[in-house]
Amino acid sequence: MCKDGRARGEVAVVFAALAAITGLASGCVTVTPAQREQLSKPEMNPATDIAEDVWHGHIEAARHGAMGGHGGAGGGCGCG
Amino acid sequence: MSARGHRATARTLAWLLASACALWVWWGPAGRAQAENRVTMRGQYYRETSTRILQPQVTVTADAPDERLTLGAGYLLDAISSASIASGAAQITGGDKVFHELRHEVTGTVGSRLGEWTLGGFFRYSTETDYISRATGVSVARDLLQRNINLAFSYGLNLDRWYRIVNNLGVRQPWCGGAVPPQGCHKDGLGVGSNFLQVHLFGLNYAHALHKTVLASFHVNYAHQVGPQDNPYREGLLGGIEETHPRIRNRVVMTPSVRWAIPKARLVIEPFYAFYVDDWGMRSHSPELRVHGRVARHVLLRGRYRYYKQTGAFFWRPDGQYVDGDAQCTRAHPENCATADVKVMPWDSHTPGVQLVWEFDGIARHKGLHWLEGGFVEVTYNHAFQHNRYGNARIGNLALSLAF
Repeated sequence: MCKDGRARGEVAVVFAALAAITGLASGCVTVTPAQREQLSKPEMNPATDIAEDVWHGHIEAARHGAMGGHGGAGGGCGCG
Repeated sequence: MSARGHRATARTLAWLLASACALWVWWGPAGRAQAENRVTMRGQYYRETSTRILQPQVTVTADAPDERLTLGAGYLLDAISSASIASGAAQITGGDKVFHELRHEVTGTVGSRLGEWTLGGFFRYSTETDYISRATGVSVARDLLQRNINLAFSYGLNLDRWYRIVNNLGVRQPWCGGAVPPQGCHKDGLGVGSNFLQVHLFGLNYAHALHKTVLASFHVNYAHQVGPQDNPYREGLLGGIEETHPRIRNRVVMTPSVRWAIPKARLVIEPFYAFYVDDWGMRSHSPELRVHGRVARHVLLRGRYRYYKQTGAFFWRPDGQYVDGDAQCTRAHPENCATADVKVMPWDSHTPGVQLVWEFDGIARHKGLHWLEGGFVEVTYNHAFQHNRYGNARIGNLALSLAF
């Protein structure tokens, strides 16, 4: 993936750690449909932030070295 | 902005408003909101010392006839004003004046929900004076374990063409990167002698309801970029040397996050962290905390704080001393690189922000206002304290969304 060996190592370690935490945390937990009152609220839905994230992604593409994982068109906005 | 520029912007804004009204009149009289059809108008604002962006946007999605097929369309205008040398202001305006530019973006989307599967696709075309971007992508998501888990995969492809404005008459020529002389740069084809930038973007998202009040997710993106990735207007900041970055870049970002609802306090706590690394030697860490509070039955208040810190690229030099050359910039030959780009320098920022959302469901119960059901208005303000040459930034957002 990355030619930089250190970068490749960091990605592998972080990815493995997060996968392990997620796997351990998930276990066999099942939330039934009747228990989803809180989960169904707008503030619990990541999809409600998509438009805002696209806007922030656009700003980050013009200002940050990192990417936010938002995609975003353009890039030659002339605001560099 | 010139009078002509003002008129063009006013015409475009008027067209946007008229289009949104026409769509609303067309679909609005259907009466009480029933499906997921929605029109959303947004006005976004970005301001820092030398740059201002105004970004009106309208998006419409409609089920045809239900969630098995959802179509969407959007239009976005970027109105950019900049006095920055790095934006090409001196070349484009013929002097030290404010430079204005418009970027138009249209997007078409299609989605389908079939049982536990969700499919999506989009096409987006973006054009401005010196840049053309075509992007397309597909996504597929699957619910698992009685919808306790959602696993999603996406792929996006950007096919972009770079140009640069070479005088105050707006004459443009293709830009192939600082290592390619103008006579060897072409506006078509592929490879080193072309102005073609392609980006392959892969995304993987895992979301899991860990508890009736806890939703966890993990997102990873990988991007492979090939083509010119330097700015054609920064030679003024580099003593006459063209900015030259590597042509290839591999980027990874990983983002774990959690949403934890506390019903008694009417709060949702959302810690968020993004770790980024690429083969230009850059890394960034970005922890963020959002607190969503339901201050009234239909009013949401959200506070946000984000810290961002990035390291410099392998070819960035603190002394800013670079040599001129026409060879490609690579890790093996960093002496061919030159940059005045803040994006590849080490810096950090602090961004607090606040958002207020008023859902119209409360007033939609009143006679004659049923059509407001499912609608909302959203106001957002963020202030970025940036420790770089751009200085602090004010970021605002106003949105109105109506279901029909």
